[in-house]
Amino acid sequence: MSFTTPYFTLPKFVYLKPSTLEEALSMLKQYKGKAKVKAGGIMLINLMKERQIVPEYVIDLKNIKELKTINITQRGVEIGSMVTAIELQNSKEIKELCPTLAKAASFMGDRTLQHTVTLGGNISVAMPSTDGLTALMSMDSMLEIKSAEERRFIHSSELVIGLGKNSLKEDEIITKIIVPYNGDVKGTYLKFLNASEVAIATVAVTAHLNKKKFALVVGALAPKPYYFNNESLQWNWEEPVSVNIQRASEIVSKTVEPMSDVVASSEYRKHISKVLTARALKEVFGGE
Amino acid sequence: MGVNKLKTISLKVNGVTKEIAVEDNELLLNTLRDKLGITSVKAACWRGECGLCTVLLDGIPVKSCMTLSVEADGKEVITAEGLYSDERAKKLMESFVKHGALQCGFCTPAFVVTSHYVLSKNPEIDGEELKKELNGVICRCGTYYQIYDAVKDAEKYYKKEKSY
Ligand SMILES: Cc1cc2nc3c(=O)[nH]c(=O)nc-3n(C[C@H](O)[C@H](O)[C@H](O)COP(=O)(O)OP(=O)(O)OC[C@H]3O[C@@H](n4cnc5c(N)ncnc54)[C@H](O)[C@@H]3O)c2cc1C
Ligand code: FES
Ligand code: FES
Repeated sequence: MSFTTPYFTLPKFVYLKPSTLEEALSMLKQYKGKAKVKAGGIMLINLMKERQIVPEYVIDLKNIKELKTINITQRGVEIGSMVTAIELQNSKEIKELCPTLAKAASFMGDRTLQHTVTLGGNISVAMPSTDGLTALMSMDSMLEIKSAEERRFIHSSELVIGLGKNSLKEDEIITKIIVPYNGDVKGTYLKFLNASEVAIATVAVTAHLNKKKFALVVGALAPKPYYFNNESLQWNWEEPVSVNIQRASEIVSKTVEPMSDVVASSEYRKHISKVLTARALKEVFGGE
Repeated sequence: MGVNKLKTISLKVNGVTKEIAVEDNELLLNTLRDKLGITSVKAACWRGECGLCTVLLDGIPVKSCMTLSVEADGKEVITAEGLYSDERAKKLMESFVKHGALQCGFCTPAFVVTSHYVLSKNPEIDGEELKKELNGVICRCGTYYQIYDAVKDAEKYYKKEKSY
Protein backbone atom coordinates (compact mmCIF):
# COMPACT_ATOMS: atom_id res chain seq x y z
CA MET A 1 0.00 0.00 0.00
CA SER A 2 1.50 3.28 -1.04
CA PHE A 3 0.67 6.49 0.76
CA THR A 4 1.52 8.56 -2.28
CA THR A 5 -1.32 7.29 -4.45
CA PRO A 6 -4.48 9.39 -4.82
CA TYR A 7 -6.97 8.86 -2.03
CA PHE A 8 -4.22 9.25 0.57
CA THR A 9 -2.85 12.44 -0.90
CA LEU A 10 -4.16 15.72 -2.20
CA PRO A 11 -3.69 16.98 -5.74
CA LYS A 12 -1.43 20.03 -6.08
CA PHE A 13 -2.93 23.45 -5.44
CA VAL A 14 -1.94 26.88 -4.24
CA TYR A 15 -3.04 27.63 -0.70
CA LEU A 16 -4.30 31.14 0.02
CA LYS A 17 -5.21 32.45 3.44
CA PRO A 18 -6.89 35.85 3.26
CA SER A 19 -7.42 37.67 6.54
CA THR A 20 -10.38 39.80 5.48
CA LEU A 21 -13.61 39.05 3.67
CA GLU A 22 -12.82 41.68 0.98
CA GLU A 23 -9.52 39.97 0.27
CA ALA A 24 -11.19 36.56 0.04
CA LEU A 25 -13.88 37.84 -2.35
CA SER A 26 -11.36 39.54 -4.61
CA MET A 27 -9.29 36.33 -4.75
CA LEU A 28 -12.43 34.42 -5.69
CA LYS A 29 -13.09 36.92 -8.44
CA GLN A 30 -9.51 36.81 -9.71
CA TYR A 31 -9.39 33.01 -9.79
CA LYS A 32 -13.01 32.51 -10.78
CA GLY A 33 -13.65 28.92 -11.81
CA LYS A 34 -10.20 27.78 -10.62
CA ALA A 35 -10.62 28.29 -6.89
CA LYS A 36 -12.56 26.62 -4.09
CA VAL A 37 -13.12 28.10 -0.69
CA LYS A 38 -12.25 26.01 2.33
CA ALA A 39 -14.25 26.31 5.52
CA GLY A 40 -13.61 23.40 7.92
CA GLY A 41 -12.25 21.50 4.93
CA ILE A 42 -13.83 18.24 6.03
CA MET A 43 -15.79 17.68 2.83
CA LEU A 44 -13.47 19.63 0.55
CA ILE A 45 -10.38 17.62 1.52
CA ASN A 46 -12.17 14.30 1.08
CA LEU A 47 -13.51 15.29 -2.35
CA MET A 48 -10.04 16.45 -3.37
CA LYS A 49 -8.46 13.20 -2.18
CA GLU A 50 -10.97 11.38 -4.38
CA ARG A 51 -10.12 13.79 -7.23
CA GLN A 52 -13.80 14.71 -7.50
CA ILE A 53 -12.72 18.35 -7.29
CA VAL A 54 -9.27 19.51 -8.30
CA PRO A 55 -9.07 23.27 -7.75
CA GLU A 56 -5.92 25.18 -8.68
CA TYR A 57 -6.38 27.46 -5.68
CA VAL A 58 -7.77 26.79 -2.23
CA ILE A 59 -8.91 29.91 -0.39
CA ASP A 60 -9.03 29.21 3.32
CA LEU A 61 -11.65 31.23 5.20
CA LYS A 62 -10.31 30.28 8.64
CA ASN A 63 -8.54 33.58 9.33
CA ILE A 64 -11.55 35.78 8.64
CA LYS A 65 -12.78 36.93 12.03
CA GLU A 66 -16.01 38.56 10.87
CA LEU A 67 -17.29 35.19 9.63
CA LYS A 68 -16.97 33.69 13.11
CA THR A 69 -19.35 35.84 15.12
CA ILE A 70 -22.87 35.33 16.44
CA ASN A 71 -24.82 38.58 16.78
CA ILE A 72 -28.35 39.46 17.84
CA THR A 73 -29.65 42.25 15.62
CA GLN A 74 -33.01 43.64 14.57
CA ARG A 75 -33.11 41.11 11.77
CA GLY A 76 -32.70 38.23 14.20
CA VAL A 77 -29.82 35.96 15.11
CA GLU A 78 -26.98 36.48 12.64
CA ILE A 79 -24.58 33.55 12.53
CA GLY A 80 -21.28 33.85 10.69
CA SER A 81 -20.79 31.06 8.15
CA MET A 82 -17.51 29.99 9.84
CA VAL A 83 -19.09 29.32 13.24
CA THR A 84 -18.33 25.68 14.11
CA ALA A 85 -20.70 22.90 15.15
CA ILE A 86 -19.20 22.93 18.66
CA GLU A 87 -19.66 26.71 18.95
CA LEU A 88 -23.32 26.34 17.91
CA GLN A 89 -23.88 23.83 20.70
CA ASN A 90 -22.07 25.91 23.32
CA SER A 91 -23.54 29.31 22.46
CA LYS A 92 -26.09 30.57 24.96
CA GLU A 93 -27.86 32.60 22.25
CA ILE A 94 -28.14 29.65 19.88
CA LYS A 95 -29.39 27.31 22.59
CA GLU A 96 -32.01 29.82 23.65
CA LEU A 97 -33.11 31.30 20.34
CA CYS A 98 -32.31 28.50 17.87
CA PRO A 99 -32.77 25.25 19.84
CA THR A 100 -33.38 23.24 16.65
CA LEU A 101 -29.99 24.26 15.26
CA ALA A 102 -28.15 23.64 18.52
CA LYS A 103 -29.47 20.10 18.51
CA ALA A 104 -28.79 19.52 14.80
CA ALA A 105 -25.19 20.68 15.32
CA SER A 106 -24.65 17.78 17.72
CA PHE A 107 -25.08 15.45 14.72
CA MET A 108 -22.70 17.19 12.30
CA GLY A 109 -20.08 14.44 12.22
CA ASP A 110 -18.47 12.99 15.33
CA ARG A 111 -17.44 15.05 18.33
CA THR A 112 -13.87 15.58 17.10
CA LEU A 113 -14.99 16.71 13.64
CA GLN A 114 -17.49 19.11 15.21
CA HIS A 115 -14.59 21.31 16.33
CA THR A 116 -13.77 21.77 12.64
CA VAL A 117 -17.08 21.53 10.71
CA THR A 118 -18.64 24.95 10.04
CA LEU A 119 -22.30 25.83 9.49
CA GLY A 120 -21.56 27.49 6.12
CA GLY A 121 -19.58 24.48 4.89
CA ASN A 122 -22.14 22.03 6.18
CA ILE A 123 -25.01 23.57 4.20
CA SER A 124 -22.91 24.25 1.08
CA VAL A 125 -22.07 20.57 0.50
CA ALA A 126 -25.70 19.90 -0.48
CA MET A 127 -25.64 16.26 0.58
CA PRO A 128 -28.72 14.54 2.03
CA SER A 129 -26.55 13.28 4.88
CA THR A 130 -25.80 16.70 6.34
CA ASP A 131 -27.90 18.16 9.13
CA GLY A 132 -27.55 21.94 9.00
CA LEU A 133 -29.90 22.84 6.18
CA THR A 134 -32.86 20.81 7.49
CA ALA A 135 -32.66 22.71 10.77
CA LEU A 136 -32.18 26.10 9.09
CA MET A 137 -35.20 25.59 6.81
CA SER A 138 -37.43 24.81 9.78
CA MET A 139 -36.34 28.14 11.27
CA ASP A 140 -37.17 30.00 8.03
CA SER A 141 -33.57 31.19 7.89
CA MET A 142 -32.17 33.50 5.26
CA LEU A 143 -28.67 33.32 3.85
CA GLU A 144 -26.50 36.34 3.12
CA ILE A 145 -24.42 35.71 0.01
CA LYS A 146 -21.59 37.91 -1.17
CA SER A 147 -19.32 38.26 -4.17
CA ALA A 148 -16.82 41.05 -4.80
CA GLU A 149 -19.59 42.97 -6.61
CA GLU A 150 -22.81 42.06 -4.98
CA ARG A 151 -24.63 41.14 -1.84
CA ARG A 152 -27.88 39.19 -2.00
CA PHE A 153 -30.17 37.26 0.31
CA ILE A 154 -31.87 33.94 -0.36
CA HIS A 155 -34.15 31.77 1.70
CA SER A 156 -32.39 28.68 3.04
CA SER A 157 -34.76 26.50 0.97
CA GLU A 158 -33.32 28.02 -2.22
CA LEU A 159 -29.74 26.87 -1.59
CA VAL A 160 -29.70 23.24 -2.68
CA ILE A 161 -30.56 22.47 -6.29
CA GLY A 162 -29.37 18.88 -6.60
CA LEU A 163 -27.08 16.22 -5.19
CA GLY A 164 -23.87 18.02 -4.26
CA LYS A 165 -25.08 21.14 -6.10
CA ASN A 166 -25.96 24.51 -4.66
CA SER A 167 -27.26 27.67 -6.28
CA LEU A 168 -24.17 29.79 -5.55
CA LYS A 169 -22.14 31.29 -8.39
CA GLU A 170 -18.45 30.46 -8.61
CA ASP A 171 -17.37 33.76 -7.09
CA GLU A 172 -19.93 33.80 -4.28
CA ILE A 173 -19.76 32.67 -0.69
CA ILE A 174 -22.26 32.40 2.12
CA THR A 175 -21.27 34.96 4.71
CA LYS A 176 -24.11 34.80 7.19
CA ILE A 177 -27.08 32.76 8.24
CA ILE A 178 -29.91 34.94 9.50
CA VAL A 179 -32.55 33.40 11.74
CA PRO A 180 -35.57 35.69 12.10
CA TYR A 181 -36.67 36.36 15.63
CA ASN A 182 -40.27 35.22 16.04
CA GLY A 183 -40.75 35.29 19.78
CA ASP A 184 -41.16 32.23 21.96
CA VAL A 185 -39.47 29.37 20.26
CA LYS A 186 -39.51 25.64 20.79
CA GLY A 187 -37.67 23.25 18.60
CA THR A 188 -36.22 19.83 18.19
CA TYR A 189 -34.15 17.82 15.75
CA LEU A 190 -34.38 14.04 15.49
CA LYS A 191 -32.15 11.79 13.44
CA PHE A 192 -32.73 8.11 12.76
CA LEU A 193 -29.55 6.18 11.95
CA ASN A 194 -28.90 2.70 10.62
CA ALA A 195 -26.38 0.39 12.31
CA SER A 196 -23.43 1.99 10.53
CA GLU A 197 -24.65 5.43 11.59
CA VAL A 198 -25.89 6.62 8.23
CA ALA A 199 -29.08 8.70 8.35
CA ILE A 200 -32.34 7.11 7.19
CA ALA A 201 -34.37 10.23 7.93
CA THR A 202 -34.17 13.39 10.01
CA VAL A 203 -36.91 15.71 11.23
CA ALA A 204 -36.57 19.31 12.37
CA VAL A 205 -39.44 21.15 14.03
CA THR A 206 -39.37 24.81 15.00
CA ALA A 207 -42.49 26.28 16.59
CA HIS A 208 -43.55 29.74 17.72
CA LEU A 209 -46.42 28.93 20.02
CA ASN A 210 -47.36 32.56 20.69
CA LYS A 211 -47.98 32.96 16.96
CA LYS A 212 -49.57 29.53 16.49
CA LYS A 213 -47.04 28.77 13.81
CA PHE A 214 -44.58 26.01 13.14
CA ALA A 215 -42.49 24.48 10.39
CA LEU A 216 -41.47 20.85 10.05
CA VAL A 217 -38.70 19.78 7.69
CA VAL A 218 -37.79 16.23 6.75
CA GLY A 219 -34.20 15.63 5.67
CA ALA A 220 -31.87 12.83 4.50
CA LEU A 221 -34.48 11.51 2.05
CA ALA A 222 -33.26 13.35 -1.02
CA PRO A 223 -30.74 16.12 -1.79
CA LYS A 224 -33.31 18.72 -0.85
CA PRO A 225 -35.19 18.55 2.44
CA TYR A 226 -39.01 18.51 2.41
CA TYR A 227 -40.65 21.58 3.94
CA PHE A 228 -44.02 21.53 5.75
CA ASN A 229 -45.75 23.98 8.04
CA ASN A 230 -48.87 24.01 10.20
CA GLU A 231 -51.00 24.91 7.18
CA SER A 232 -49.73 22.21 4.84
CA LEU A 233 -49.99 19.72 7.70
CA GLN A 234 -53.65 20.84 8.25
CA TRP A 235 -52.93 21.49 11.91
CA ASN A 236 -56.07 22.56 13.75
CA TRP A 237 -55.26 24.27 17.06
CA GLU A 238 -58.78 23.55 18.36
CA GLU A 239 -58.35 19.81 18.04
CA PRO A 240 -56.46 17.51 20.43
CA VAL A 241 -52.71 17.27 19.78
CA SER A 242 -52.87 13.51 19.20
CA VAL A 243 -55.41 13.91 16.39
CA ASN A 244 -53.24 16.57 14.79
CA ILE A 245 -50.09 14.48 15.07
CA GLN A 246 -51.81 11.48 13.50
CA ARG A 247 -52.98 13.57 10.54
CA ALA A 248 -49.67 15.41 10.15
CA SER A 249 -47.57 12.28 10.06
CA GLU A 250 -49.92 10.73 7.48
CA ILE A 251 -49.55 13.82 5.29
CA VAL A 252 -45.75 13.67 5.58
CA SER A 253 -45.59 10.02 4.61
CA LYS A 254 -47.93 10.58 1.65
CA THR A 255 -45.95 13.57 0.39
CA VAL A 256 -42.30 12.55 0.58
CA GLU A 257 -40.66 10.58 -2.21
CA PRO A 258 -37.44 9.27 -0.66
CA MET A 259 -34.55 7.90 -2.67
CA SER A 260 -33.75 4.18 -2.54
CA ASP A 261 -30.12 3.29 -2.04
CA VAL A 262 -27.81 0.86 -0.25
CA VAL A 263 -28.69 2.53 3.04
CA ALA A 264 -32.45 2.07 2.89
CA SER A 265 -35.35 1.51 0.55
CA SER A 266 -37.73 4.29 -0.30
CA GLU A 267 -40.56 2.59 1.64
CA TYR A 268 -38.46 2.24 4.76
CA ARG A 269 -37.40 5.88 4.64
CA LYS A 270 -41.06 6.88 4.17
CA HIS A 271 -42.08 4.84 7.18
CA ILE A 272 -39.29 6.26 9.36
CA SER A 273 -40.23 9.81 8.27
CA LYS A 274 -43.73 9.21 9.54
CA VAL A 275 -42.54 7.79 12.86
CA LEU A 276 -39.99 10.57 13.39
CA THR A 277 -42.55 13.24 12.49
CA ALA A 278 -44.88 11.95 15.18
CA ARG A 279 -42.05 11.76 17.73
CA ALA A 280 -40.80 15.24 16.99
CA LEU A 281 -44.28 16.79 17.16
CA LYS A 282 -44.96 14.99 20.40
CA GLU A 283 -41.74 16.36 21.84
CA VAL A 284 -42.69 19.90 20.92
CA PHE A 285 -46.47 19.89 21.56
CA GLY A 286 -46.81 17.19 24.20
CA GLY A 287 -49.82 14.90 23.98
CA GLU A 288 -50.12 11.25 24.92
CA MET B 1 1.83 29.21 -10.53
CA GLY B 2 4.50 28.31 -8.03
CA VAL B 3 2.73 25.08 -7.18
CA ASN B 4 5.85 23.15 -6.38
CA LYS B 5 7.45 25.72 -4.10
CA LEU B 6 7.91 24.65 -0.52
CA LYS B 7 6.68 26.88 2.23
CA THR B 8 8.39 27.12 5.57
CA ILE B 9 6.01 26.81 8.46
CA SER B 10 6.72 27.25 12.11
CA LEU B 11 5.21 24.54 14.24
CA LYS B 12 5.58 24.02 17.97
CA VAL B 13 5.51 20.26 18.31
CA ASN B 14 5.38 18.79 21.80
CA GLY B 15 7.04 21.86 23.24
CA VAL B 16 9.74 22.33 20.62
CA THR B 17 9.36 24.96 17.91
CA LYS B 18 10.43 23.77 14.49
CA GLU B 19 10.74 25.33 11.06
CA ILE B 20 9.55 22.81 8.51
CA ALA B 21 9.43 23.01 4.72
CA VAL B 22 6.07 21.76 3.50
CA GLU B 23 4.07 21.69 0.30
CA ASP B 24 0.70 23.39 0.09
CA ASN B 25 -1.06 20.06 -0.41
CA GLU B 26 0.71 18.29 2.45
CA LEU B 27 -1.39 16.80 5.23
CA LEU B 28 -0.41 17.44 8.83
CA LEU B 29 -0.52 13.67 9.28
CA ASN B 30 2.30 13.25 6.73
CA THR B 31 4.37 16.07 8.19
CA LEU B 32 4.15 14.58 11.67
CA ARG B 33 4.79 10.97 10.70
CA ASP B 34 7.10 11.20 7.71
CA LYS B 35 9.06 14.36 8.43
CA LEU B 36 9.12 14.42 12.22
CA GLY B 37 8.91 10.69 12.93
CA ILE B 38 6.02 11.04 15.37
CA THR B 39 4.54 7.58 15.04
CA SER B 40 1.93 7.68 17.80
CA VAL B 41 -0.18 9.51 15.22
CA LYS B 42 -1.66 6.63 13.26
CA ALA B 43 -2.78 6.64 9.66
CA ALA B 44 -5.70 4.39 8.91
CA CYS B 45 -8.74 5.61 6.98
CA TRP B 46 -7.32 8.90 5.62
CA ARG B 47 -10.85 10.31 5.37
CA GLY B 48 -11.82 11.60 8.77
CA GLU B 49 -13.73 8.56 9.93
CA CYS B 50 -11.56 6.64 12.39
CA GLY B 51 -9.91 9.39 14.43
CA LEU B 52 -6.64 7.47 14.87
CA CYS B 53 -4.70 10.45 13.52
CA THR B 54 -6.09 12.81 16.20
CA VAL B 55 -3.72 15.44 17.63
CA LEU B 56 -4.28 18.58 19.68
CA LEU B 57 -3.91 21.70 17.54
CA ASP B 58 -3.74 24.74 19.79
CA GLY B 59 -5.33 22.54 22.43
CA ILE B 60 -8.29 21.37 20.31
CA PRO B 61 -8.57 17.80 19.00
CA VAL B 62 -8.40 17.63 15.21
CA LYS B 63 -7.96 14.82 12.74
CA SER B 64 -4.55 15.37 11.17
CA CYS B 65 -5.53 13.55 7.95
CA MET B 66 -8.10 16.31 7.42
CA THR B 67 -5.75 19.18 8.27
CA LEU B 68 -3.31 20.92 5.93
CA SER B 69 0.17 21.49 7.31
CA VAL B 70 0.17 25.07 5.99
CA GLU B 71 -3.00 25.64 7.96
CA ALA B 72 -1.14 24.76 11.18
CA ASP B 73 1.53 27.40 10.61
CA GLY B 74 2.29 29.23 13.86
CA LYS B 75 0.29 26.77 15.91
CA GLU B 76 1.09 24.23 18.60
CA VAL B 77 0.68 20.49 18.08
CA ILE B 78 0.55 18.03 20.94
CA THR B 79 0.64 14.28 20.41
CA ALA B 80 0.73 11.40 22.86
CA GLU B 81 4.54 11.69 22.99
CA GLY B 82 4.18 15.25 24.24
CA LEU B 83 1.89 14.21 27.07
CA TYR B 84 4.64 12.34 28.94
CA SER B 85 5.73 15.63 30.44
CA ASP B 86 2.23 16.20 31.88
CA GLU B 87 1.85 14.50 35.25
CA ARG B 88 -1.92 14.19 34.90
CA ALA B 89 -1.68 12.68 31.43
CA LYS B 90 0.91 10.21 32.67
CA LYS B 91 -1.58 9.03 35.29
CA LEU B 92 -4.22 8.83 32.59
CA MET B 93 -1.97 6.56 30.53
CA GLU B 94 -1.28 4.39 33.59
CA SER B 95 -5.02 4.16 34.06
CA PHE B 96 -5.37 2.76 30.52
CA VAL B 97 -2.90 0.02 31.49
CA LYS B 98 -4.57 -0.64 34.83
CA HIS B 99 -7.98 -1.08 33.20
CA GLY B 100 -6.72 -3.07 30.24
CA ALA B 101 -8.15 -0.36 28.02
CA LEU B 102 -6.47 -1.69 24.90
CA GLN B 103 -5.95 -4.86 22.99
CA CYS B 104 -3.76 -4.19 19.95
CA GLY B 105 -3.10 -0.64 21.13
CA PHE B 106 -3.41 0.97 17.71
CA CYS B 107 -6.11 3.39 18.86
CA THR B 108 -4.58 4.13 22.27
CA PRO B 109 -2.62 7.32 21.43
CA ALA B 110 -5.72 8.88 19.86
CA PHE B 111 -7.88 7.96 22.85
CA VAL B 112 -5.26 9.27 25.28
CA VAL B 113 -4.95 12.58 23.44
CA THR B 114 -8.73 13.00 23.14
CA SER B 115 -9.50 12.02 26.72
CA HIS B 116 -6.72 14.30 27.98
CA TYR B 117 -8.54 17.13 26.22
CA VAL B 118 -11.89 16.04 27.65
CA LEU B 119 -10.67 15.72 31.25
CA SER B 120 -8.71 18.99 31.10
CA LYS B 121 -11.95 20.69 30.13
CA ASN B 122 -14.22 18.84 32.51
CA PRO B 123 -12.85 16.41 35.12
CA GLU B 124 -16.35 15.62 36.39
CA ILE B 125 -17.88 14.49 33.17
CA ASP B 126 -21.04 12.43 33.15
CA GLY B 127 -20.64 8.89 31.78
CA GLU B 128 -22.96 9.43 28.79
CA GLU B 129 -21.29 12.75 27.99
CA LEU B 130 -17.91 11.04 28.05
CA LYS B 131 -19.04 8.46 25.50
CA LYS B 132 -20.18 11.28 23.24
CA GLU B 133 -16.94 13.21 23.70
CA LEU B 134 -14.92 10.19 22.64
CA ASN B 135 -17.09 9.18 19.68
CA GLY B 136 -14.62 10.55 17.14
CA VAL B 137 -12.19 7.69 17.70
CA ILE B 138 -12.83 4.09 16.71
CA CYS B 139 -11.37 1.11 18.56
CA ARG B 140 -11.46 -1.87 16.23
CA CYS B 141 -10.74 -4.22 19.13
CA GLY B 142 -13.83 -2.93 20.91
CA THR B 143 -12.26 -1.97 24.23
CA TYR B 144 -14.65 0.97 24.68
CA TYR B 145 -15.93 0.08 28.13
CA GLN B 146 -12.43 -0.38 29.50
CA ILE B 147 -11.51 2.99 27.97
CA TYR B 148 -14.49 4.71 29.62
CA ASP B 149 -13.51 3.13 32.95
CA ALA B 150 -9.88 4.18 32.54
CA VAL B 151 -10.83 7.76 31.79
CA LYS B 152 -13.38 7.97 34.62
CA ASP B 153 -10.78 6.58 37.01
CA ALA B 154 -8.24 9.21 35.93
CA GLU B 155 -10.64 12.11 36.59
CA LYS B 156 -9.20 12.66 40.05
CA TYR B 157 -5.82 13.64 38.64
CA TYR B 158 -7.41 16.41 36.61
CA LYS B 159 -9.29 18.04 39.45
CA LYS B 160 -7.76 21.27 40.68
CA GLU B 161 -7.16 20.24 44.27
CA LYS B 162 -4.86 17.26 43.98
CA SER B 163 -6.64 14.67 46.07
CA TYR B 164 -4.58 11.66 45.11
C1 LIG C 1 -16.88 10.61 8.73
C2 LIG C 1 -17.73 11.83 8.60
C3 LIG C 1 -19.04 11.80 9.03
C4 LIG C 1 -19.84 12.94 8.93
N1 LIG C 1 -21.14 12.87 9.35
C5 LIG C 1 -21.92 13.97 9.24
C6 LIG C 1 -23.29 13.94 9.64
O1 LIG C 1 -23.78 12.92 10.07
N2 LIG C 1 -24.02 15.08 9.53
C7 LIG C 1 -23.49 16.24 9.04
O2 LIG C 1 -24.18 17.23 8.97
N3 LIG C 1 -22.21 16.30 8.67
C8 LIG C 1 -21.42 15.20 8.75
N4 LIG C 1 -20.11 15.27 8.36
C9 LIG C 1 -19.57 16.55 7.92
C10 LIG C 1 -20.09 16.94 6.55
O3 LIG C 1 -20.08 15.83 5.72
C11 LIG C 1 -19.25 17.98 5.88
O4 LIG C 1 -18.01 17.37 5.66
C12 LIG C 1 -19.02 19.20 6.66
O5 LIG C 1 -20.16 19.67 7.26
C13 LIG C 1 -18.48 20.27 5.79
O6 LIG C 1 -18.22 21.41 6.55
P1 LIG C 1 -16.84 22.13 6.41
O7 LIG C 1 -16.92 23.37 7.22
O8 LIG C 1 -15.73 21.21 6.73
O9 LIG C 1 -16.86 22.50 4.87
P2 LIG C 1 -15.75 22.38 3.73
O10 LIG C 1 -15.37 20.97 3.53
O11 LIG C 1 -14.66 23.34 3.98
O12 LIG C 1 -16.58 22.90 2.49
C14 LIG C 1 -17.57 22.11 1.88
C15 LIG C 1 -17.93 22.69 0.50
O13 LIG C 1 -18.62 23.92 0.63
C16 LIG C 1 -17.89 24.99 0.09
N5 LIG C 1 -17.98 26.06 1.10
C17 LIG C 1 -17.53 26.04 2.38
N6 LIG C 1 -17.86 27.16 3.03
C18 LIG C 1 -18.55 27.92 2.16
C19 LIG C 1 -19.18 29.21 2.25
N7 LIG C 1 -19.17 29.93 3.38
N8 LIG C 1 -19.78 29.69 1.15
C20 LIG C 1 -19.81 28.97 -0.01
N9 LIG C 1 -19.26 27.75 -0.15
C21 LIG C 1 -18.63 27.23 0.93
C22 LIG C 1 -16.49 24.48 -0.15
O14 LIG C 1 -15.89 25.09 -1.27
C23 LIG C 1 -16.72 23.01 -0.36
O15 LIG C 1 -17.05 22.75 -1.70
C24 LIG C 1 -19.30 14.13 8.42
C25 LIG C 1 -17.97 14.16 7.97
C26 LIG C 1 -17.19 13.03 8.05
C27 LIG C 1 -15.78 13.07 7.56
S1 FES D 1 -6.75 8.45 9.53
FE1 FES D 1 -7.52 10.38 10.06
S2 FES D 1 -9.50 9.92 10.75
FE2 FES D 1 -8.81 7.98 10.06
S1 FES E 1 -7.07 -1.59 21.03
FE1 FES E 1 -7.04 -2.30 19.01
S2 FES E 1 -8.02 -0.66 17.98
FE2 FES E 1 -8.31 -0.16 20.01
